[in-house]
Parts: sequence; C-alpha cells; structure tokens
Amino acid sequence: MADAKAGAGNAIVGMGRGSYAMLLAFFLGPAVVIYTVFSIYPLFATIFNSLYLRQPDGAYLFNGLGNFQTLLTDTTWSVPFWNAFRNNCYFFFIHMLVQNPIGLALAAMLSLPRLRLRATYRTLIFMPTMLSVVIIGFSWQLILSPLWGISKMFLNALGLGFLFAPWLGQESTALITVSLISVWQFVGIPMILIYTALLAIPEELIDAATVDGLNQFQAFVWVKLPLIFPTIGLVSVLTFVNNFNAFDLIYAMKGALAGPNFSADIMGTLFYRTFFGNQLQLGDLSMGSTIATMMFLIILVGVMCYLFLIQRRMQRYSF
Amino acid sequence: MSEVKIEKLCKSYGPVEVLKDINLTVGDGSFVVLVGPSGCGKSTLLRSIAGLEPVNSGNMTIGGRQVNDLPPAQREIAMVFQSYALYPHMDVYNNMAFGLKFAKTPKAEIEARVNEAARILQLEPLLKRRPRELSGGQRQRVAIGRAIVRKPQVFLFDEPLSNLDAALRINTRVEIAKLHKMLKATIVYVTHDQVEAMTLADKIVVMNKGRVEQAGKPLELYYKPNNLFVAGFIGSPAMNFLPAQVKKGGILALSDGQELKAALPSSCKAGDTVTLGFRPEHMTLGGAGKFALTGIIDIIERLGESGFAHVRLPSGHTVVAEVRGDPRTGSGQSAKLTFDADYLHIFNAEGQRLD
Amino acid sequence: MRKSASAIAVHGILILYTALALFPILLVIMNSFKARKAIFGSPLALPTPTTFSLIGYDRVFGDSSIVSYYLNSITVTGGTIFFTLLFGAMAAWALTEYKFRWNTLLALFLAVGIMVPIRLGSVSIIQLIVELNLINTLTALILVYTAQNLPLSIFILSEFIAQIPKDLREAGRCDGLSEYSIFFYIVLPLIRPAMATVAVFTMIPVWNDLWFPLLLAPTGGKQTITLGIQQFLGQYITDWNAVLSALSTAIIPVLILYVIFSRQLIRGLTSGAVK
Ligand SMILES: Nc1ncnc2c1ncn2[C@@H]1O[C@H](COP(=O)(O)OP(=O)(O)OP(=O)(O)O)[C@@H](O)[C@H]1O
Ligand SMILES: [Mg+2]
Repeated sequence: MADAKAGAGNAIVGMGRGSYAMLLAFFLGPAVVIYTVFSIYPLFATIFNSLYLRQPDGAYLFNGLGNFQTLLTDTTWSVPFWNAFRNNCYFFFIHMLVQNPIGLALAAMLSLPRLRLRATYRTLIFMPTMLSVVIIGFSWQLILSPLWGISKMFLNALGLGFLFAPWLGQESTALITVSLISVWQFVGIPMILIYTALLAIPEELIDAATVDGLNQFQAFVWVKLPLIFPTIGLVSVLTFVNNFNAFDLIYAMKGALAGPNFSADIMGTLFYRTFFGNQLQLGDLSMGSTIATMMFLIILVGVMCYLFLIQRRMQRYSF
Repeated sequence: MSEVKIEKLCKSYGPVEVLKDINLTVGDGSFVVLVGPSGCGKSTLLRSIAGLEPVNSGNMTIGGRQVNDLPPAQREIAMVFQSYALYPHMDVYNNMAFGLKFAKTPKAEIEARVNEAARILQLEPLLKRRPRELSGGQRQRVAIGRAIVRKPQVFLFDEPLSNLDAALRINTRVEIAKLHKMLKATIVYVTHDQVEAMTLADKIVVMNKGRVEQAGKPLELYYKPNNLFVAGFIGSPAMNFLPAQVKKGGILALSDGQELKAALPSSCKAGDTVTLGFRPEHMTLGGAGKFALTGIIDIIERLGESGFAHVRLPSGHTVVAEVRGDPRTGSGQSAKLTFDADYLHIFNAEGQRLD
Repeated sequence: MRKSASAIAVHGILILYTALALFPILLVIMNSFKARKAIFGSPLALPTPTTFSLIGYDRVFGDSSIVSYYLNSITVTGGTIFFTLLFGAMAAWALTEYKFRWNTLLALFLAVGIMVPIRLGSVSIIQLIVELNLINTLTALILVYTAQNLPLSIFILSEFIAQIPKDLREAGRCDGLSEYSIFFYIVLPLIRPAMATVAVFTMIPVWNDLWFPLLLAPTGGKQTITLGIQQFLGQYITDWNAVLSALSTAIIPVLILYVIFSRQLIRGLTSGAVK
C-alpha cells in the first residue's frame, strides 16, 4: 500500500525520497549554487561590510549604522554623496522626460497600421542600443570635440553656430550632455517594449474607437495609451534601476573622477572611486560597501514602489 | 492474462478527495469505458492506473502483478492522450520507436514492430513525416500506433476522439472496435460521448464525484440503473423524473393528483416518498400503454423522423416524450402520454433503485 | 489626401530619427578608413581612393593583443551563454515540473536577481574572486555573468517549458524515459527557439560590459575586447586614425551579428519583458 505522505510530497510514482531529492539537486543545484554564491551572497556580504569600520591597525570593527551616519552627515562624505545622488536624479529625470517620451512616440509611429519599412526602421533605430557604452561614449566624445569640429559644422549649417560650446568640458553642461548621449543610445529599449505592447492590442478595439468617432490620435490617447500603462510602468522601473546603477558611460567619457569638478558624478562612479581609490584618495572597503548598500536601498525603494503601486493593480506574474 | 484489478483506491490533491474508494476489475481482453460528468475523476483514475499520478492508498494489480509503486514504463501499459502528445521534433517512425529504443529493444525488432503497427493503421506512407504535417485523424492513428508497438498488457485511452470532427469520430470509433477485436487487447477508455460508450464497451463504469456509481454491461445500465444518478446520466435526452407518494393498494400518487396503479416492489410501503423515472423514448403521445399521464404540450422539437414533446403536467413538472413522425398536435394542446410498466423505474428517497 | 500627407510626415520623422541614430556610427566607421588629413579636412565625405588609408587598422592590429582580447570576449560570452542556458533550463524545468516544499520560495529567491543588479555586490565579489584565486581569469567573469543572467533566463525558459503540453511529458514517462531523459530528449529540443532568444539576449550585455572586466580581469592579457578597446583608446588618445579604427573594430562585428540576429534579439527583449 502506498504511503500517504510520499504520495502527497512527490509527484513521481515509483521514485523513492532519496532519488527524488537527487533529481531536484541535479536540476536545481548548479543554478542555485552559482546564483547564491556569486549574486546573493555578495549582495548580503556587502550590506554586512557596510556595518563595519576599518581601524588604523587594519582590523574591522562593528560600527552599526555609523558608516551611514558618516556618509550622510560628515561633509567629507556627504557632499560628494549628495552631489552624486542629485546628479543621478537629474540623470534619471532626463531619461524619463526625454528617452521614454521619444521611445513612446517612435513606438506609436512604428505601430501604425500599414506602415511600410517598419522592420527596417525598428532595426536601425535600435542599433545604438546594441553597442558597448564605451564605444558610444568615445564616438560622441570625438563628435563633440572642438578639435574635430563636426558638431560646430552642423550648427553653423543651421545658422546656430553661436550655440556651440565644449559641452562635455563645462561644469554646467557636462551632466546633461552625458545624459542625452545615454538617452540617444538607450531609446531603443522603451521603443521596443512599448511597440510590442501596442502590437498586442487587438485591431478591433481601434476599429471600435473609430466607429465611436475618434480620430487616430484620439484613439491612441484614449484607447491604446491606457492599455499600455503596465508597459510604461515597467519601462519606468527599468529606467530607474538602470540609471541608479549606471557607471560605464560616465566612466568611459569622463573617467572615474566624473569631472569637471565632479559635475557628472553619479552613484556608480562615486562607488567605484570610493572602493578603488583614485588620485585623490585611498580605496575604502567599508565606505564602498556603504555606498553600494545605499544604492541597493534606493533601487529597492524604486522596485517596491513599482511592485506595490503599479504592478499590484495590474496582472501579476509568477514562475 | 492481463486483468486490471483496483481495490479501495483513494487519491486526493491536498485536502480535495478526487477518488474515493474505487473498486474495479477490468477482465482480460475486455473493453471498459469510464463515463461521468466533467471533473468526476475519470482522467485521474486512468492516470493513476498508468502510474502518472501517485495514489494515497489502495491496491492496483495488472496481470496479477502489484504495480502500486512501479513507474509507468514498468507497468506494461500504453496510453493514448486526448491531445495525442506526439513528440513534435520527431517523425512518425521515431515517435513510435522512441519508447522501444529506451527499452533497449533490438533494432530489427523495433523496425518489425513499427512496420507492423504502421501496416495495421495504414500509416506506411507517413512514416517520414513530422506530426505537424499530419491531419488530426492521422495524428490520432500515430498515437494509437505508438501504443500498439509497446505490446502493452493494457491500453489506456483518455477521450481519444474528442478532437476529431463528427464523421471522422464515427470512423475511428469503428476502427478502435476492430482493433480491440484483432489485438484481443484489454482497454480502459474514458469518454464523454454516450454513443461511444454504448457501442464500444463490454462494461461501462459510471463515475460521479470520485465514486463509482455503477459498473455493468451497457444495456444493464440502461434498463436497470442502480440509482437516480446513473438513470439520469445514461440515455439522451435524459430520463424523466417525477416525485410520487405510495398509497395503499399499489397506487402511486403524483403531486397533482394523477394516479398510476402498478405492481410495486415489495420494499415499497404505503406512505413512502419515491421518485418515478421513465425514458422519453419509451413514452408515446396518445397510444395505449398501461400508464397514462395528461398535460399540456409546451413545445414540440421536431427533428424530422422523430421529435420531442415537452409536456407540462398540472403539477408544474415538465415531461419529455419522444414522438415519431409528425404529430398533428402542437403547443398549447392537451396531450395524453402513455408508457408500459416494464419501463417504469422507481427510486426510494435515497435515490436507490427499488426492485 | 490628408492620409498620405500624414504618412509622409511619419516617414519624415522616422527617417530623421534613423539618421540621428546611425550618423555617429557611420561617421566613425567612415573616417576610420581615411588618412589623418581627410579626417579633419572633410569629415563628412566618404573615403575616396586618394583619402583611403588603413593606417589606423595597422596600428590596432599591430597591437597583437586586440586579437586575443577578441578571443577572450568570445570565450567569456560563449561560456556564459552555455552555462546560463544549460543550468537555467535545468532549473526552470525543475521549478515548473516538480512539486516540492520550497518551490515557490525558491522561485521568488531567484526572481530577486531579475530586479536587483548584481553589480551592487561588487565589493564582495572581488573579495570572493580573490579568495578563490580567480582574479584576472576568464573563469571569474563566466561565473559572475552566469549568476547575473540565470534569473531572467530561468524566468523566460520557465514560461516556455510551462507551455509544453503536460501530455507530452507524460507520454515520455509512459515510453519509459527517466526524468533526466525527459529533460534532455524531449524538453530541451522543444525549447530550442526560446534558448536561441535567451542566448542572443544574454550575449549583448556580456559582450559590452565594462564593469566586471575592469574589476575582475583588468590586466594580464585577460581583458575582454570592450575593456581592451577602452584601454587602447586611453593609450592612443591623440592618434585619431588609431582611435577611429579601434572603435570601428569594436563596432563592425557587433553590427554584423546584429543584422543577422536582430529578429531573435527583438523577440527576446519582448518576451523577457512580458511579465
Ligand atoms: N493537479 C491537480 N491539482 C488539484 N486538483 C486537481 C488536479 N488535477 C485534477 N484535479 C481535480 O480533480 C478532479 C478530477 O479531475 P479529472 O481530470 O480526473 O476529471 P475528469 O473526470 O477527467 O474531467 P473531464 O471530463 O473534464 O476531463 C477535478 O475536480 C479537478 O479539479
Ligand atoms: Mg479528463
């Protein structure tokens, strides 16, 4: 007679507990081990590190939330931190205000019925997104360089030559220039995500709206836009996570110091500088971990907002 | 010998009991059909026999061998799935040969068996095709072929014809009946289709809410249903039921005062409340049966050669009667329905048949 | 009439934007084939026989390490894809097919990695890699990237595996396959399209990443091409021929692959996002 317990726990007839456990270990083991050791453990170890402070003799002592207090209030740390945080917020707002609306507009145009060359446009516009940030950053650096003068030539041609300035080199414009380059590179992602969401909307809905007397633009605003709201939510949270985790572009264009005068410094570069050290300071494991933990908390807050405010009202997913 | 014996089988998903104390014997070479309303546990029973679902308690033997703890492959069964479950990435030949390869059957033997099955099922020209290049009927035959090559003790079918169109379904039904005769196979077969059940089965098992309500020869279920559930489930349109009161002298009084006088079974006592059952096809409009009921015709559904009259009795119950030809009566007219004593079924208050 | 006018406007905007997207890339590639004088003299002109020059490429490939950086990138990307797909598919299969007590919890545990960037643990990753004596090795990169890509890969593959009809897996069981054989002979072949998608989709960020090569394998000839180019650019910053050629060397192979795989990639992006 079959054991009732075994029947409940194990869905495979004729397999003992031992071999069932073996089976699970075989399939789940490698992924769980690699993921835990190289992703989850470092994350927690970093948070753990942020609670310790290095003593002059090299030992690490438990410091509670002291590192966070230092980071947020001691001016040696708090000034760069708040500067990087503020810059990162600008970086994010510029993406939200420029990248995502452009992505939405492009997606809306690409999803128009009977548009010719749709796939070609889509493929070409997505192309910069494929390339390494290093390449993009350097290419733009060349293009914006007064030495080469390409951008100046363009502005002259438009009669706007007086606008030209070494944007990347000025404190007042470095951040916005870098942000716009990042927008230029990554606009493909919101575009593709929104585009697919738009394609999934049944044609009949638009037909119904047309019958109701809406023109194409009104139909887009009142019918399609509300339906792709979940996707816009997703795009926003992806933008948030990516922006607060960004590093490559600024490092490639401006180096670890994110100059001039830290005007393009964001969390990622601050973290790198703090942990590895640079011309100005020595590397600091505790404070590096503290900054990483702050980044983690910021991203966590963003993701939580998304999950609880937006995702919860929409369809949930599960494995 | 490939008898399937199931004793006291119980199975639950968490707190939900899906099979409750199932006892069933499938004789060697017999064709047993499981029927019952959707969700009653037919598939679960079949899958338990196959070893695809673990059971909580009970005993199963196939060919005298206890199989409770054997995996499907060692039970010497073959299953034909409703969706056919052909491997999409293999051609017809390999679909049939796949299991044999894993059983380390010698190559020549595999080839012989597959070719034999292909011959029987007329699949020879299709052996090199992929499942998606086949019609529904052809896929169905491949699925059966895959079962045949295994030379199982028992074939298990779960609604194998439900994805075919009406004409093909009748054809394939006949094919399966022939195949059963030819292979002398033991078969357990789940279906929703009453005609399939009645024509194919040596024995029909009617299930309801995880229990076996009655098992028996098709006509036995039709003429002597054990209880109200079976009576209502077998036959289409369904049997008419009317509540009645037993009075002295073998009189059955309906709630509207109409009375029938019958030779009542001994277990019927005056004062009992019973349910009377009679099938539409056993009633006639007018006619001269022993029993008669009168009422007003609500509507007559005419199908051509026959039709169904829905007659409302004064008590408010509606009775359906089959009418042959094209009766000249119509809605709103009063009608007299008659039927014979042989066809009257009486059930007690618990719904059990009284004989 | 109005219809066609608006269609022209839409095409106009799209063409303008496409030009904006392609211009910097084409400009770099175009000028990499020119002599220094022409780069500055007529930056917008195509190379002509008189201005054509491969001097920059000579310099790039004269630095023989570029080729080995390419090989490093191929090894890292290939290894990551292989392990991400294999281990991801295995875990996805177990999570969708088998019941066990921690199933849901484990799925949630793995889902954390979809949203939380692994970079945040960099400090400890370095310590760990140093402790494992894997600093400046490609193995370190493969391990970290695999950990980084597994969650999404498991998520996407689970969705595909769940779509494989239950009957099919059970037919396999009736046919006498072990659970392992069901996975390798039935499930794996059936999710090949999904795996291609995940592969393309894993490949891009790994190939382009600068952060982990910088942290884990910055020297010793184990640089990936992205880091290698970055270091090369820093070295030759004033040699425009070399810089433009180095950039083009990094761009062109990716563009070719992109043109070949763009359909799969875009399908991957979208299926990964349908949550
Ligand atoms: N994996 C499962 N978990 C929980 N309950 C289940 C599961 N599979 C089936 N059930 C339940 O078990 C009962 C019996 O299901 P089963 O599939 O055997 O019904 P069936 O008689 O074959 O129905 P149908 O005629 O619709 O195919 C149903 O109530 C169903 O909801
Ligand atoms: Mg069923």
